[in-house]
Amino acid sequence: MNFAFSEEQELLRRSTRRFLDDRQQLAALRSRLEEPETLDRPSWREAAELGWTSMLIPPRYEGGCVTDQPIVDLVVLGEELGRCLHPGPFVPTNVVADAIATWGTELQCEEWLGPIAHGESLAAWCISRDGSIETGECGVVATCGDDSSVLDGVARFVHGAAAADLLLVLAHSGDGLVHVLVPTSTPGVAIRTQRSIDLTRRFGEVAFDGVTVASAQTLRADADAVHSRAVDLATILQAAEAVGAADHLFSKTVEYLKVRKQFGRTIASFQAIKHRLADLLLSLEGMRAATHYAALAMNDGFDDRSAAVSTAGSYVGESFAALCGEALQLHGGIGFTWEHDVHLFVRRAITNKGLYGDPGWHRERLCAIAEVA
Amino acid sequence: MDIHVPEIPPRYEGFRAELRAFIAANKPTLVWKQRSGLRTPDSEADVVALRQWVAALDDAGYRLGRFSLEEVDPYEQRIIKQEVAVAGVPLVLGNPLVSGALKTFGTPEQQRRYLPPMARGDHIWTQLFSEPNAGSDLASLQTSARVEGDEYIVSGQKVWSTWAQWADYGYLLARTEPIAGPGGISAFLLDMKSPGVEVRPLREMTGTTDFNEVFMDDVRIPAANLIGTPGNGWIAAQTSLLTEREGVGGGTGRGVADGLTELARHHRRHGRPALEDSAVRQEIGALEARSRVFAALGYRVATKAAQRSSDAWDAPLTKIWYSELNLEVAEYALALQGLGGSLVEGDPDAWDDGWWQDRFLYARALTIAGGSNEIMRNMIAERGLGLPKEPRGVSPL
Repeated sequence: MNFAFSEEQELLRRSTRRFLDDRQQLAALRSRLEEPETLDRPSWREAAELGWTSMLIPPRYEGGCVTDQPIVDLVVLGEELGRCLHPGPFVPTNVVADAIATWGTELQCEEWLGPIAHGESLAAWCISRDGSIETGECGVVATCGDDSSVLDGVARFVHGAAAADLLLVLAHSGDGLVHVLVPTSTPGVAIRTQRSIDLTRRFGEVAFDGVTVASAQTLRADADAVHSRAVDLATILQAAEAVGAADHLFSKTVEYLKVRKQFGRTIASFQAIKHRLADLLLSLEGMRAATHYAALAMNDGFDDRSAAVSTAGSYVGESFAALCGEALQLHGGIGFTWEHDVHLFVRRAITNKGLYGDPGWHRERLCAIAEVA
Repeated sequence: MDIHVPEIPPRYEGFRAELRAFIAANKPTLVWKQRSGLRTPDSEADVVALRQWVAALDDAGYRLGRFSLEEVDPYEQRIIKQEVAVAGVPLVLGNPLVSGALKTFGTPEQQRRYLPPMARGDHIWTQLFSEPNAGSDLASLQTSARVEGDEYIVSGQKVWSTWAQWADYGYLLARTEPIAGPGGISAFLLDMKSPGVEVRPLREMTGTTDFNEVFMDDVRIPAANLIGTPGNGWIAAQTSLLTEREGVGGGTGRGVADGLTELARHHRRHGRPALEDSAVRQEIGALEARSRVFAALGYRVATKAAQRSSDAWDAPLTKIWYSELNLEVAEYALALQGLGGSLVEGDPDAWDDGWWQDRFLYARALTIAGGSNEIMRNMIAERGLGLPKEPRGVSPL
């Protein structure tokens, strides 16, 4: 048993952290909090060379991973990106790359995977009109003709929509659900950036108004299978970002409490504080273990992979938000200021709770699995 | 990254088959009711039968590595633990905590003299650590051991000793040096038949008797029964307690929440099976998630231990995780049973003869024993996170 990252993965961690530290990622991000776009595209293109979007893309399409466990490689990256609340679109771009690499035709792979691997193309994932992952809430209709179809409708809470070059769109067609690859430049696609409580990422409302797409842009695969793999992958990557963010915020909180003095002593010497920090560590270590196991289970195709993913989805979703809230409370008044970073973590965590399956959705799935066990 | 445990090679199938046959032929019949947790038999006949069983097992060559001075075959060890667990009988009698201390700090003579009979069940051991006034603050213990010639004279009172009512030997902590705190504590091997030792079984909230009080009044212990050097007892105890904490919940892993869907299927809420109620499903899902998180934490802790890169918080963190989850699962299991959840063993309507009710009551042993969860939180904060130590009052000598 070796339930830990490999040396290559630790190397990847160090180089990623150095890259992000050099750019003072979080500080730089702060200057863009109220700008229309938080993503720094030139920096994303450079980062792509570190493998941020290439892990799930086969070498023949210019992708490549660090070990033979690309989903675990991605967890390393996700943790590092999470530490500085990177705006992404790390999660959706990898999810779309994986969908194309797994189910795409030769032509689709050739067209999109290289540019994604090199950071030239960004991708977003249009799931539903209300942001849920229930396929029943899909708000786009595909009217199929002989060799093209027409998309109408709307998708919301699409992470990275405005910056994206490519959309993976879930749509209802005459014969059930389909996934369509739609360049954002296609006539009839309109994107409005939503005003989100999460200041570090951008989410968009994507409207499709008579958008004509060639049949060759449809994924030839069972839409439920595509959707469920995408949900699992997104859950794991988002959990990885949450673990990195939680780890960073926790260390910062411990550091602060060790120097902050009241009543003539550092407040970290009060047992009321110590026990709360101990409880935060209990949840942080749990989040980490759950995420690593989910990645391993999905990558290696364990029998319990669905349960493993939903364990991470529910436990990390709840714990990350709770940890950020506690961290803010423990900072006291300084944590309530705009200048302090802690609110950015709180905002990220509360948004994550609804993204890619809320914890309640994952708990229901776990109960359903336990029921038949 | 993997959680791969090497498969037991096919050449061990003979070993397993022989052991199975041995168990089938020698497994004792007990009146002892199977309950959740680490429990003590309540009849002498059971203890006699268990001693015979463990001795027969050891004589046949099935010995656990923790009692062995020689190298053991890890595959055989796994098979022994698996097969005896399947048979539902104990493999170890008493509290063998002292074995680790003996191996690390004992003399070769002590190891030869005490380890084999411990393995055979000839010597049942108990632990004599906690005192009525030294629980969480164990280092303030007051049982005294003063030197007289080549003996120590011991007086004091111990509590929370499992198996003491059946024990032949005790792993004793007593104060030999006139210094407050851990530095004055030494560890001893105490023959429980020594004059002046009195064991009073303690009935706990479960209604069962799984712990004891032990009184010592001018008990003479040969100096040769000191483990390690005088004043080294605290370190010996810490070494052994660490193993105990890691043992809490060890091997249970995924499955802490097992049985809840079964209960929810057979009990009703709002006029239909509870399992159809979404509030119930959410709660079961949450406990199921935590049970799986705990299993994954176990892989992490085990990997770190194997790589000798354990964090100071690993043992206390694991102990809190398991004991609190276990308690919550038991609480919810009772809630699922409605008012039927108040029925205990002996009532004809009690579900599973009150197994869950006993587990609920016993769960409190695990949140307190082996260092209360509050002490565990202090350890995580002070040793793990490096937070300033709690200001201490003066411990009485």
